[in-house]
Amino acid sequence: MKFSRKRKELNGIPTSSMSDVAFLLLVFFLSTTKFDIKKGLGIVLPPASSQGDKKVKLKDENITKVLINKEGEVLLKTKDSEELIAMNKLKARIKSIVRNNPDMVISLKTDRQSQYKYMVQALDQLQAAGAEKISLSTN
Amino acid sequence: MAKIVKKNRPETTIPTASTSDVAFLLLLFFMVSTVFVKERGLKVTLPRAESIEKIPRKQSATIYVNSAGVISIDDFPVEIPQIAGLMNSKLAQNFNLITCFRTDKNTRYGIMSDILNQLREAECLRVSFEAKLKR
Repeated sequence: MKFSRKRKELNGIPTSSMSDVAFLLLVFFLSTTKFDIKKGLGIVLPPASSQGDKKVKLKDENITKVLINKEGEVLLKTKDSEELIAMNKLKARIKSIVRNNPDMVISLKTDRQSQYKYMVQALDQLQAAGAEKISLSTN
Repeated sequence: MAKIVKKNRPETTIPTASTSDVAFLLLLFFMVSTVFVKERGLKVTLPRAESIEKIPRKQSATIYVNSAGVISIDDFPVEIPQIAGLMNSKLAQNFNLITCFRTDKNTRYGIMSDILNQLREAECLRVSFEAKLKR
């Protein structure tokens, strides 16, 4: 009498396609990854004034005003002088002002109709010049 | 007769056994570093600046303002008077909150000034104006 042999099935997970799967996932992540690095110009705002708060009055010689009109022109106004200045020259001028008087407050006043980029450019120049006391305002 | 000795040429094949290891390693790196964007925001062209610094992502809340003056927070269009309340609730969740502005460079500054006043009311005093690095 003949006994037919039963074939034993091999137990095991096929791993030959593992690298294909890995590459497929790799391509997915490569194409969808977006490195979300935020960069910007930081500033700390003053708290909203309430009735109880005392207003500190600054001396005129401790204030430098940087005024930007709607065309993006910059006017630098100190206690003694007033001059129209190019945006890229602002850094050097402020640097010398701050060096002479470290308590100097720079008041950046931008026209409401002016474009936002002019304010950012001016703020960038002020921060690059090492000005620490900056105030933002508008008309 | 002299015997001609065959020279054994070295095999020139690239070993591919470790390819899957490399692939898994890269895969792991991308899986760990991938950040899925939470909000779509508005389409803006950022201004350029030189002295920009990194903003810690976990502490930041973004306010989008496009060139038409549309304001968006968490993908919801908001009006200026609503901002103080919204940001105040965000501040309650995260005390070290930094408000990031993703504003189009051609937006009128008046809108920004109004938003800044709202932030002062909400006591969200740490602000950052997002910009691209000037080269």
